[in-house]
Amino acid sequence: MHYTFDIERGNFTDAGQASSSVKRTLKHLGVAPANIKRTVVALFEAEINAIAHAYGGTIDVDIDDQKIVMVVADKGPGIPNLDLAMQEGWSTASAEVREMGYGAGMGLPNIKKNTDDLKIESTVGVGTTVTMTVFFA
Amino acid sequence: MAAQETFFGHSLKVDKSRCLGCTTCMRSCPTGAIRIRGGKAVVYDNKCVDCGNCMKVCPHKAIYIQQDDFALIHNYEYRVCLVPTTFIGQFEEKFRTREIYACLKKLGFTHIYEVEHEVEYVVELYKKYIAKHPEIRTFISPYCPAVIRLIQVRFPSLVDNIIRVRAPFELAAHIMTNRLMDEGASRESIGVFYVTPCAAKIAAVKYPVSNKETMITGVINMDFLFNKVQLMLRESKKDAEAINHSLTSRDILWPLPGGEASLFRGSHYAVDGLQNVLNFLERLEDETVDARGLVEMRICDQGCVGGVLATNNRFVARKRLEDRARLLDQPDRPLNRYTRYNNPEFCKWIDEQMEIDEITPHSIYKLDDNFAEAIKMAERMKKIEKALPGVNCSACGAPSCAALAEDIVRGDADISSCMFINRHSQASEDAIRNIWGDRIKTRTINQDKSE
Repeated sequence: MHYTFDIERGNFTDAGQASSSVKRTLKHLGVAPANIKRTVVALFEAEINAIAHAYGGTIDVDIDDQKIVMVVADKGPGIPNLDLAMQEGWSTASAEVREMGYGAGMGLPNIKKNTDDLKIESTVGVGTTVTMTVFFA
Repeated sequence: MAAQETFFGHSLKVDKSRCLGCTTCMRSCPTGAIRIRGGKAVVYDNKCVDCGNCMKVCPHKAIYIQQDDFALIHNYEYRVCLVPTTFIGQFEEKFRTREIYACLKKLGFTHIYEVEHEVEYVVELYKKYIAKHPEIRTFISPYCPAVIRLIQVRFPSLVDNIIRVRAPFELAAHIMTNRLMDEGASRESIGVFYVTPCAAKIAAVKYPVSNKETMITGVINMDFLFNKVQLMLRESKKDAEAINHSLTSRDILWPLPGGEASLFRGSHYAVDGLQNVLNFLERLEDETVDARGLVEMRICDQGCVGGVLATNNRFVARKRLEDRARLLDQPDRPLNRYTRYNNPEFCKWIDEQMEIDEITPHSIYKLDDNFAEAIKMAERMKKIEKALPGVNCSACGAPSCAALAEDIVRGDADISSCMFINRHSQASEDAIRNIWGDRIKTRTINQDKSE
């Protein structure tokens, strides 16, 4: 089954709507709580990333009986150095974003930790597409 | 409703002769446990957590709490009234605690014992449990039984965060029974009756999460006892019962928000009120809040003084307890604790009695045990939800369009029960357009219903 969500730049207040909706569906499917948690944590982090750094984007979620694939695609500045971005504590978040309690540089590392597969495609000045997969078994 | 194995027994009942099926309770139920069938509210047993919200909002007093027959107390030679300080908070300050207890004795009890005598020990048990589980970061208090059940059905991933210690009333019942047996009473001659401020605690006594023996003989609704005592207090002649008050000021405040936290002293959160509890559990589950330490949770706003069987306004009762605590001015426990607490063997035994062996998750969400089938159902549910108007009018007998969609895929309802879909005349078409404007799709009359 498929879901699509829109992400609005700078709207931290509504962050988590995609992950809440996905969580509800996974509970209906009877997915193990630990896997639901991993999925929700990863999706929320990716959503926050897009809200904080990009100019909006979309989230596409596909669920089958083996796995959930989440694609978070944003239009934004892109990630110039992916290796740096994957390091814990590295962040380019603005002071404003940090003031809201985000931007600790744990986003991508946390996503990696919680997913079984992570693909990041990024073009500077165009945008970033993060593809995350969590297997249920 | 599809037949299901029942996990929970309940104390909340619907009085069919009073219920008008007005949907008020259904729409405010935190677990979506209520439906309207045959014009009356009916409850899904496995979804209900006994929070008492339906009873609080019912405009027709059609929801009630089953209680034990009061006359039952006279089957016992020793009749203990286990009273929480919430009860004292119901009375005006001009009535002294000892006068209130004298009334309870006149009603037939031989011993009065405050539950809060044992809360300090219960918090010690929390601490021991926490020390034994360094792998857990967030510990949820087991005190409010409605919270335990809410976690079991709606937040199953959090069951392992609940501290597995039974409630203070259980410890108080054990201690009081032991005290009386020390004095020579036989176990059979002792009846311990707990005065409850809410439905959840009755359910917790009658259908406990723990399979250990309870020492509670019966449960008495607080409003019932309040009415009796209030009448007696208003009569001019008052007796005073000599009480050996060994409660501390903090014990008195235990039922209020922060009551556990103040005894615990370590890193803690205190959350009260249904919406707040739901919100916090949601965040704990998503890990969008990083709560380290003890999370005290009470499903009622203002804690137990907000219980559905507490007669007086919760803020008034809160102030009264705070005043009584200040008046007592006893920060530390006097040295008249139960003597066998000094015996390590006894403590070991009581610690075992107070353990909850297991708290099992009972998710209300799972559509089917077969994953492929569950996906099919979820797909269908999503489609049906899109076809429904989304105004959550409840006229179909379900609390929301999403709930109806779920009922349909579970085989508990039919799409024709939606008044918006099932409309066949130009008049109903016009009426809906007048109320909801363009939000609702205009239908060609006689459009295929099976869509």
